[in-house]
Amino acid sequence: MNTTTANTQTAASPVEAIQVWLVNQLAEVLSLDPSTIEVKQPLTRYGLDSIDAVTLVGDLEDWLDLELPSTLLWDYPTIEKASTYLVDEFEVSLDA
Amino acid sequence: MASLIEQFKQYWLAESLERDLGDPNDPKNVISFQQTAQIDESEAFPHDEIAWLYNWQLQRYYVPTDCGGEFTSFEEFVSFVRVMARRDLNISIAFTTLFWSFLTWMVGTPEQKQKLMNYIINDHGAMCLSYSERDHGSDLVGGDTVAVKVPGGYRFTGEKWPINRATISGLTYVLARTNEEGGNRGLSLFMVDKSELDPASYSNLPKIKTHGIRAADMSGIKFDNCFVPESALLGKEGQGLELALKGFQITRALCAAFSQGAADTTLRTTLKFALNRQLYGKKTVLDMLDVRRSFIFGFLDFLTCDCVIFVAACGFHVVPEQFSVWSAVDKYFVPVTLEKMMQDISVVLGARFYMRDEHDAGVFQKMLRDSAIISVFDGSSVVNLHALILQRRQLAKARARRKPTQLEPLLARLKNSFALDQPLPAFAPQKLELISRGADDVMHGLEPTLDQLKSLVGAADVNQTMLQEAIALVEVIREELDAQDEQIAQSGFEHGHDQSFESFELAKHYCRLHAGLACVQMWLHNRHQLGDFFAKGEWLVLCLHRLLSQKRLDLPPVAEAYYEAIAEEMLRLYHEDKMFSIVPFQLARSGQSSDSAEEVTPELQLQA
Repeated sequence: MNTTTANTQTAASPVEAIQVWLVNQLAEVLSLDPSTIEVKQPLTRYGLDSIDAVTLVGDLEDWLDLELPSTLLWDYPTIEKASTYLVDEFEVSLDA
Repeated sequence: MASLIEQFKQYWLAESLERDLGDPNDPKNVISFQQTAQIDESEAFPHDEIAWLYNWQLQRYYVPTDCGGEFTSFEEFVSFVRVMARRDLNISIAFTTLFWSFLTWMVGTPEQKQKLMNYIINDHGAMCLSYSERDHGSDLVGGDTVAVKVPGGYRFTGEKWPINRATISGLTYVLARTNEEGGNRGLSLFMVDKSELDPASYSNLPKIKTHGIRAADMSGIKFDNCFVPESALLGKEGQGLELALKGFQITRALCAAFSQGAADTTLRTTLKFALNRQLYGKKTVLDMLDVRRSFIFGFLDFLTCDCVIFVAACGFHVVPEQFSVWSAVDKYFVPVTLEKMMQDISVVLGARFYMRDEHDAGVFQKMLRDSAIISVFDGSSVVNLHALILQRRQLAKARARRKPTQLEPLLARLKNSFALDQPLPAFAPQKLELISRGADDVMHGLEPTLDQLKSLVGAADVNQTMLQEAIALVEVIREELDAQDEQIAQSGFEHGHDQSFESFELAKHYCRLHAGLACVQMWLHNRHQLGDFFAKGEWLVLCLHRLLSQKRLDLPPVAEAYYEAIAEEMLRLYHEDKMFSIVPFQLARSGQSSDSAEEVTPELQLQA
């Protein structure tokens, strides 16, 4: 799988960095306060329906510059599970 | 003029079916307007008429060749659906529930495919799609029907309603919850053979009386702890929603053929009236300028919708991975446009449009009522616009990021999707995707299309005035698309179901721009092979003008002579009994009888 160059600007692990991105993205697209989003909760709890979840994978693909399975957020339906899967499966590390 | 269609064998099947069905105005013919009016009034299911279609072996064309049938091309498929639909929507929809079989062709095991092929082709079996529930229409994930795992299979409990052919069918596709926790992987899809069920554990719900397709078997099915064998599971547990959404891409793109059939009949019957009714001295109704213009607009809407559905039918074979976008555009644009066209044209018939026994057995009002369901079923207009809104930002981003290296492959795909003489690749349903990742070849073809048009400046075989007008209108499409992409980039894009009114309006406009580009590319790729009217291109300028002037009020008017050219072509097709289409295949001639032995050429006999 592709590995993007590690960037030392942030001390956050890749899993944490993806979680932060997902929390912020979800907050933005569903007009929520990011502090209310918990990484262990199912995304449907925040009003993300099935098609939204697929569209969000498209945004993830753009950010990570990877092709991902479009049902990723169906199969890993919490922010925590999705982040862990991405790092395990795609060896992702992040630039800002 | 020699038939254009002779060279395009993908239309031979439709022409053969037309010949054998005969003139629908003749009450002695099967599926005539008079007969179907009686069926509609009686609300009795049309068993005999559907049996005729099975005996003709049409069902073979719903089964792909690699599964034992004759299906090879959606272009061919759309043409024969139009043949049925122009006669009666209830019969064509009831027969065409067979197209749900694509779910099995997509993911079935070899045993499931074999069983289904046999059921359809030899047993003349029929099927229905049981997804909707009384309290959950478009919300599939919210469904209450459960399939609890037990040794050897599942126990189903729940009700599916309203379902077309729920009762009069031997097989039903059912979406049911197999995971108690629910969610997007909580549903599974089953191909349930009713003959394998205990009759005591399922039942049918009563027939629903409807505004249109009144003789339809619109009913429901109820499962009461009903055992369904494991062999009925399609794909894997939890794959139900994904399969359902992909299956809908196929059917949404093709539903437009029903609308086209209905619209063809309404235009034809109204034209017949207008040509034969004289008023105020020697004028016919058609000579009245505002009436003439209504017909011209109607025919232009036809041609536009034709281009949209044509590229959808062919594009399925070339770029199935883009169909989450194309099917949404097609399913919204065509039924809505043609419904409006039928309403506008009804004015010409005056009081007669409202009558059930007058003028061609009251077929106009019946088609109006019957076709109203098309924009609702298999994903309503709202569902499809919403699907488009969610992908709109990706579409804008991908357009901005286009690279020069992508140009050659794009041009090749466009040629394969638009040119009638290009053989289509085999349909590969396993390539369907839930998102197109920003791809929409028709829209991304805008700049290359503009370049191709400009390269024709000075060409001897192109009407240069028309060309300049077309170029100017495609420049307007570019302005509109650029403005929309910019607006989307700036706006706070939202997910979820609370999309703004403006988002829906943008999505509708996107569909119009897509339709416009489909018309241009249709012309570019086929201008040497669809006759003079098509090549001259007045229709193209008028179609583009009509689409764009819904939003742009600054467009220069089009010359009167162009409108007259449209009227002439429409009348020519009418008098020659040809389909109102950019590919005007031959319909049954007036006075032609059903199953006329002398009309059927031996090589087109389709009996087994």
